[in-house]
Amino acid sequence: MRKLSENILDKISIDFLRNQVLKNAYGNDDTVIAKLDPRILLVWYLFFGLVPWFLNDVVLLLGIFIFVALTTRAARIAPLVLFLFCIGVFSQTGYLFIVALFFGGNTETIVPLLIMTLKVAVVSLASITVFSGLDPDRLANGMLWFGCPGQLSFSISFAYRILPVLMEEFQNILLSYRLRGNPPSKNGLAGKIRYLAYQIRMIIQAFYPLMLNTAKRSRTTVEALELRGYRHSIQNPEVKKMKLAMLKVTRADLIFVCISIVWVCASFGASAAL
Amino acid sequence: MSIIEIRDLTFTYPGASEPTLKNASVVIEKGDFLAIVGNNGCGKSTLCKTLNGLIPHFIVGDMDGDVFIDGMNTKEQEIGTLACRAGYVYQDFENQIVCPTVLEDASYACLNYAMPDYEEKGKKALNVCGLSSKIDDYVWQLSGGQKHLLALAGTAALSPDILILDEPIAQLDPAHADGIYEVLKELNEKYGKTVIVIEHHTDYIVKYCKNVMLLKDGTVQWILPAKEAMRRTEELQGCNIFPPQVAIAAERMLDGGLLPREPFEKKEEILPVDVNEGTRVFAPYLKNKGPAYKQAARQDRPRDPIVDFKNVTVKYRAVKGEPPKVFDDFSLQIGKGEKIALIGSNGAGKSTMMKLMMGLIRPESGQVLLNGRPTAELPKEELGRTISMVYQNPEEMFIKDSIRKDIEYAMKVRRVEDYEKHTDELLEMFRLTDLQDRDGRLLSGGQMRRASLAIGIALQPEILLLDEPTANLDIATRREIMKTLQMLKGVTDTVVIATHDMQLVCDWAERLIVLSSGYVIADGTKEEIFADMYVRQQVGIRPPQIYDMGRALGIENPCFTIDEFMGYFRGEKYA
Repeated sequence: MRKLSENILDKISIDFLRNQVLKNAYGNDDTVIAKLDPRILLVWYLFFGLVPWFLNDVVLLLGIFIFVALTTRAARIAPLVLFLFCIGVFSQTGYLFIVALFFGGNTETIVPLLIMTLKVAVVSLASITVFSGLDPDRLANGMLWFGCPGQLSFSISFAYRILPVLMEEFQNILLSYRLRGNPPSKNGLAGKIRYLAYQIRMIIQAFYPLMLNTAKRSRTTVEALELRGYRHSIQNPEVKKMKLAMLKVTRADLIFVCISIVWVCASFGASAAL
Repeated sequence: MSIIEIRDLTFTYPGASEPTLKNASVVIEKGDFLAIVGNNGCGKSTLCKTLNGLIPHFIVGDMDGDVFIDGMNTKEQEIGTLACRAGYVYQDFENQIVCPTVLEDASYACLNYAMPDYEEKGKKALNVCGLSSKIDDYVWQLSGGQKHLLALAGTAALSPDILILDEPIAQLDPAHADGIYEVLKELNEKYGKTVIVIEHHTDYIVKYCKNVMLLKDGTVQWILPAKEAMRRTEELQGCNIFPPQVAIAAERMLDGGLLPREPFEKKEEILPVDVNEGTRVFAPYLKNKGPAYKQAARQDRPRDPIVDFKNVTVKYRAVKGEPPKVFDDFSLQIGKGEKIALIGSNGAGKSTMMKLMMGLIRPESGQVLLNGRPTAELPKEELGRTISMVYQNPEEMFIKDSIRKDIEYAMKVRRVEDYEKHTDELLEMFRLTDLQDRDGRLLSGGQMRRASLAIGIALQPEILLLDEPTANLDIATRREIMKTLQMLKGVTDTVVIATHDMQLVCDWAERLIVLSSGYVIADGTKEEIFADMYVRQQVGIRPPQIYDMGRALGIENPCFTIDEFMGYFRGEKYA
């Protein structure tokens, strides 16, 4: 038992989290989804993120659910994100669904819950596919095309660049705390709680030096941005045009759109037939 | 033709009482390869920032005098125009890289200035900087040296006439450092760029730069051809710059009567600055080549191992594909009381080895024993009492808002008796008493290092690990760190330092361990390692200049210090 809990604790280290985040952000840039045109995917998301709320047919929702589950799989999403998704859906409605099953709920109570769960699941999976599967830089360009301000798209792209740096620094600061600190003993239930509280406090405290260090390094970044013409690019519409010139709708995009349409139509058909 | 002209420039940062630059005047010729030298805080970076328009357009302050770039007054130009003329690579170059992938970052500035062939320009710059194979990589996949090259490429892509680099090789191993300078040389010679570097490695200045400018207290003292400048040993040392070792040796030998005064009437003209010149000057006066001192007896007495790596294999979590192996079946023993220098190029596994000792990384197989107990079983907090590590980046050690609190933190939470008294002692020992209430991050480079060392030894650990303790420091500060290392005797006996600083290695280390892609390829005394040409080439170890000088003169025993070298010029000539 001790081995097991240690094993789990070992997995949930900051290093693991860092790896998962990196995997999610940078590890799936060669998937089918990542290669799609971001504008197409954003429109696609507009449909799959909105329409399910207005549907109330189990078969139809189930069809759409299977489809977004497949796209999520195609986008090779990191396990951690999927895990969080499951927790999310379960805490929203899933637990009610199970409770209803156990305490003699009949179809009348279960079906609405199932519908609700499916809706949440479809929308969440569609979001994961688009926002996690697409590389943030392309996502930013897609949003720029739809008229989001340049600052926003730059922020996304910059966050994408700076994320690994921040993660590593945070890890090191946390280590400073761990190596120099003296946590309470883990014996007994009270001890375990105290230990956990100590760990949480440490994580929170580690943000303070992280922010100061970031502030320090941003001095160079701000100057460098100025030198490298960032302000210039925001004011010049020509730059935006050049940036967006690389967005191209390819055959893969058309195929993806066709499959989506056919699948949704088929789901409609199935729900009407049943 | 002059490309830069500075006239009577005085600049005061807002809130500062003293001006950083005082009446600086200088003319820099087109096509020059200029090194700016001077001690920390003499205004080198500030001067460079006036060239690209950051001062006065972005950093407001009190500016008198004029700066002309190619005849244009910087006051009258847009910062964008100036940035396209004078590119700047920061000392903390990592922070100037703003895009996630290599090609995007290289062409970022060109895109921002709306150049239609921005991608081509970026590619070309990457090509010149030797990064063409990394074009689609993410920035975080690059090594430190490659990141520096990327920062350079991002700047060079705009094809500015002037390139300014602030301490380009401070954090690099010799092989990568050569790489940077070769690129700069090409940019200078083939593409006709004017290159300005802030540099304190005099061997690189002699080898690559054409001229040297000495800046002292915000005033330009002189601009001289590189070799001539390096002969002004007194002035250089007055500004905390190490002149080439052969020059110092020759000077001391003149003063000590080991070289005759006769042909060396004018010291400034004759002091050698590199090994070739040294051979000419020293060879006639060499008294003996044989062992002047007894060979340092090698300690073969086995020591009690304090750290023991047993068949350790380490893999990193990969973002994509197979997890890379850093160590494969790695075994090594570290004895009690050893002074070890860990050498190897960037990415050879030095940090991984240190992290293994600290129990921060768990080996995939095998184990690391600390005093006979596997580190995996020891709780981190107990490890902290036995072994302590000072990071390369001191900022990450500051977790409180004053250095006093930082130093006492570990003792306080462990309820060490008299921790306040001990903190006072540490502050005193590292000369930090006056700074004790300041935030560590706001100190100068040398002060930060001292503070991080004080934090590292606060618990009086048995083993101290130092990651690049002398990177980025000028000689005064480096000497201080060396002194501090001597002071550790009695408190902490076993010290392991990962470093590229061969001066430090020669002066301090007793055992050298050379790592290359996860394997120990050499392990021995400095005499053994430096004599091994294969290892030297493999890892790009560069011994201090005086060692090469001794070799060139045919002295049999290796010389690691100037005193040892001078020993061969004493006494009777016997051959």
